This record gives sequence, C-alpha cells and structure tokens, in this order.
Amino acid sequence: MRAVAHVAFDLLLEARSRRWLLVLAAAISLVLSAIALFLQLDVVDGSLAATRLFGQSLGADGEAVGLALRPLFAASAWIVFYGGISFGILACSDFGPRMLSPGRIELLLSLPLHRVELLVGTWLGVLCIALLGATWGAGGLTLILGWKTGVWTLGPLAAGALACLTFATIHAAMLAVSLWARSAALSAMVGFALFFAGVVAGYRDQALAAFQAGIGRELFRWATLALPRVSAVCRDAMAIAGSEAFDPVGLAARAGAMAAFAGAALALAAWRFEGKDF
Amino acid sequence: MTPSGASPPSPSAWAIEAVGLSKRYGAVDALAGVDVSVPHGAAFGLIGLNGAGKTTFIKSMLGILRPTGGSIRVLGGRPRDRRVRARIGYLPERLELPPSFRADELLASVARLKGLRDRDEVERRLARVGLSGERARIGAFSKGMKQRLGLAAALLGAPSLLVLDEPTDGIDPLGRVEVRRILAEERARGATIFLNSHLLSETVRICDRVGILSGGRLVREGTVDALCGSSEHHRVRFAPGVDPARLAAAGFTPTDAADTWRCAARDPAELGARLDAAKAAGAWLMELAPDLRDLEDVLAEAVGRAA
Repeated sequence: MRAVAHVAFDLLLEARSRRWLLVLAAAISLVLSAIALFLQLDVVDGSLAATRLFGQSLGADGEAVGLALRPLFAASAWIVFYGGISFGILACSDFGPRMLSPGRIELLLSLPLHRVELLVGTWLGVLCIALLGATWGAGGLTLILGWKTGVWTLGPLAAGALACLTFATIHAAMLAVSLWARSAALSAMVGFALFFAGVVAGYRDQALAAFQAGIGRELFRWATLALPRVSAVCRDAMAIAGSEAFDPVGLAARAGAMAAFAGAALALAAWRFEGKDF
Repeated sequence: MTPSGASPPSPSAWAIEAVGLSKRYGAVDALAGVDVSVPHGAAFGLIGLNGAGKTTFIKSMLGILRPTGGSIRVLGGRPRDRRVRARIGYLPERLELPPSFRADELLASVARLKGLRDRDEVERRLARVGLSGERARIGAFSKGMKQRLGLAAALLGAPSLLVLDEPTDGIDPLGRVEVRRILAEERARGATIFLNSHLLSETVRICDRVGILSGGRLVREGTVDALCGSSEHHRVRFAPGVDPARLAAAGFTPTDAADTWRCAARDPAELGARLDAAKAAGAWLMELAPDLRDLEDVLAEAVGRAA
C-alpha cells in the first residue's frame, strides 16, 4: 500500500507542471475570484434583498436565499460534472502512456514494486488530481456563497465527489486501453467514447421505451447494460447540490455499478500488465 | 511474481545464473538457449552486434520480460521477486525521466520506491555523479547529465548487483573516467557489475569477464585476457638489422609492425629456448609481450564464426 501511495504522490508531483492542469486550476481560481469579488448578495431576514453580478441586477431580489441558491448550486454541479470530466479526460489521457514509455517503464519495473501497485498508484494519482480540482471548485463556491449568504451546504462537494467517481471509472478504462496501445490520443478517444456512451446509458430506460420490440431494442439493452450511467449520476449530483429530492437507493446502485466497472477495468489492466513484456 | 510471504532468495555462488535461457518473438529467436554464470563481485561485460539479444537478456534478468524457455536466477532468486529487485540497481539503455522533476526529486522518488530511509543518500549520490546543487528541471538536462542522474539512481541503496546498459552513452571523456572510477568503487564494495556497452574499450577497462552474444547465442565467454590473448603466443620486438630468414628458421613469424615478430611457446622453458635461438641468429631482444588482440577482433571473429 505504501508503494501505491508513493506512485500516486510522484504522479501528483509530475502533474504540477502540466500546462493543462495549471490552466484548469487558474480558470477555476479566476471564476471563484470573480464570484467572490463581483457577486453581490445582500440577505435580509433570510431573503435576498439585492443580487448583482458585475453591477447588473440578477432579478432574484425578495426570494428566500436557500431557494434562490438551489439553481446556482445545481448548475455548478452540472458544470463540474460535464466540464470537469471532459477536461479530465483530455488533461489526464497521457499519464498512463507516459508511465509505459520506453526507458521509463524499464526503470520502474526494475524497482521493488509489483506491477499492480504501479497501475493502481497511477490510477489513484489521477483520481487525486480530480478530487483536488473538484474540491477546489465546488468547495470554493460553497465557501464563497456560504460566507456571502450564511447558507452552508455540503451538496456541491458531494456532487463533486460523484463527478470524481465517474471520472475515475472512465479513467480506469483509459488506463486499461493504454496497456494494449500506448497512445494518449487513443486513451482520450476511448475516454470520450465511454463518457458519451455513459450519457446515453443514463437515459437507458427512456431510450428503451422509444425502441420497438425486437433485435434493435435487445441489442441496445445489452450494449448499455454494463455502462456507467453518467447522465443519471449527473442528475443525482445536481439534485444533491441543489438540495432537491433524489433516490438514494438508485444512486447507491448506480455508484456501486460504476465502482464495479472501474474495478473490472483495473483488473483487466492488471492482468494485461502482468503478462506484458516491455 | 513471488508473493512477499514466500521463502527468501536462496544464497547462491552466482550473482546471475542463466540456464538455456530463450526468448522468442514470433518467428525470431532473440535468445536461443543462453547459459551464463556470473560470480558475485565480478564485472561481466556482454557485447555483441545490434540485435544480438543483449537488451533482451538484461530485461529477462530484471523480470521486465518473461523468457519463453530456460531459467534465470539473480542473486539467488527469481527476477520478479521484489526482494531480489530491491538489491539491484539498473540503468536502462534509453533513459526517459520525467522532465518536470529536478534531479533531487527524481532520486528522492526512486529512493521512496526502493523503500530507502536514509535521507542524506540522495545528496551523496548526486554529489558522486557531479550533480550536487543542480536546480534545473530534468527536461533541460543534456544527455550526459541524464545518464549521470540515471547512474545515481542505480547506485541508490548500495545494490548488490548493478546492471548498466550503455552507461557512458553521451558522457564526455572525463565523465567516462569518473564513471569508471565509480564502478571501481562499487566493485571494491563487493557489488557485481553487469555491463552492456558498444564501447569495447570501456568493457575491457571495466570488466574482467566478457560474453559475446550473436544471434541470441552466447558464442564466447571468458576473462578478457583469455579472449584477447593466449599464454602460448607472444609478440617480440628485436633491434633493427635482424636477418628475417634466420629468425624464421628459429620459429618466429613476421607481423605488420617493423622488427616485430610472433612466436608460440607452450611454457617458459620453450620460450627461453626460442629467444636463445633468436640471439644466436644475431637478434637482440628489445621487447617481449603477450600477443593480445583487440576485443573488436575477437568480436568480429566470434560473430563471423557464429554466422
């Protein structure tokens, strides 16, 4: 376990100078700074007395502050989910291929590490990057709005955690693909393909109802059976962030299925890694 | 992979012991039944032409690839046993290091992954390869600096076996002298050195035993002296003005060099008799040395013979 942590830590050190990730951190910081500096929220007796962004009225004056912030939190969850995952796929697509690059993998494999530790450490390192980004974005927003309005909620952070779980699932598949073909482009393509397939799978029940009974419907049913329900989890994340009602049992099932998918992808990657010559 | 709870590697007379080692890629035999035994504390050089199987052998030794036949034991254990690898320092031929790391960060990372706790060792190793105080990122390093950093990483933890694939590649002549000095210190400490280098002069200077690989087979193996020379053959230089016919009659054969001759003698008595005969023929001895060939000649001959 210590070796896994060391590999993950080294990946974080390497991530420090990744331009893509620095741009993401800067963009999140810029948005948070803009919200902190230019969003005016005056609260009187639990209601918004004045709401202004860059001096322009937002037209939410008089609404109960708890209710008024719900759409904002839900929207931020949507952005963290779809924006964060898309960005993560792009920015983290080459961590696996780089770890496997000639001259580097030989040095790593000569060290007293199990291959599976190297694999899981790399996956965990990328997951840590995602968690840091989500915590910085969602946590920062929660702190700024809580400080301005006195409304404190863990919803956005929980939504960020769900986005990280979804990204970790997709990244496990990306890592597994790297072990067959060491290409960052292919890794990103597989990530995006799984992401979009997962969005479709999230509307599986509605889509199935639109099919006529027959082979096409059965094919779609089987093709989407094991896919992570990305859009459904995003709806859950938005509901949690916006303090709306959601189905906890359904969410637990979807999260469990995603964890199983990630575990299966990592197991496949580990099997391939163990048997592969470098 | 050996589970961590398995029995420890057994002590062995050999640091490296390969028996019938083979590796096949499709229809190509990269290694075709290689037998090599390297004793503890030796410096062994593996030489051969490109594609001879040298890197394949090294990777088999480190568990980076799985042989298709035969067996190999390193430091008394299996290459994939992490306890064995904890005692090996390796410098790969084509070193790819994370460009955003500094030299001390990379060594600290390798030290963590090797489970080393001595925090000062990183600085000591950097100083040993001349990179102490280097603050630039590895991405800005020259090839020689990367090689020296790779060597420092291999030296971490005072390994029992150093496996070096082209260690002086890209290093300037004075740096090479320093590398040789470092390797001599490691040998004096008791480490075994396994070297793969295209620079045969480096191999001769560093190693006491050499193996020649050709077509995946070990075609020659022995001490450098045994491969390059023979106790039965000598080079003799006489003072100018000798009569060639009389020297030839005394059992000497001419060489390309002026006044220099070859002679064969099974023992010192026979050699003394030949020199007496030369003296009787009016030839005054100026220089006597074993008839050594270049390792290059030995390699060319061995590869030609194998082909």
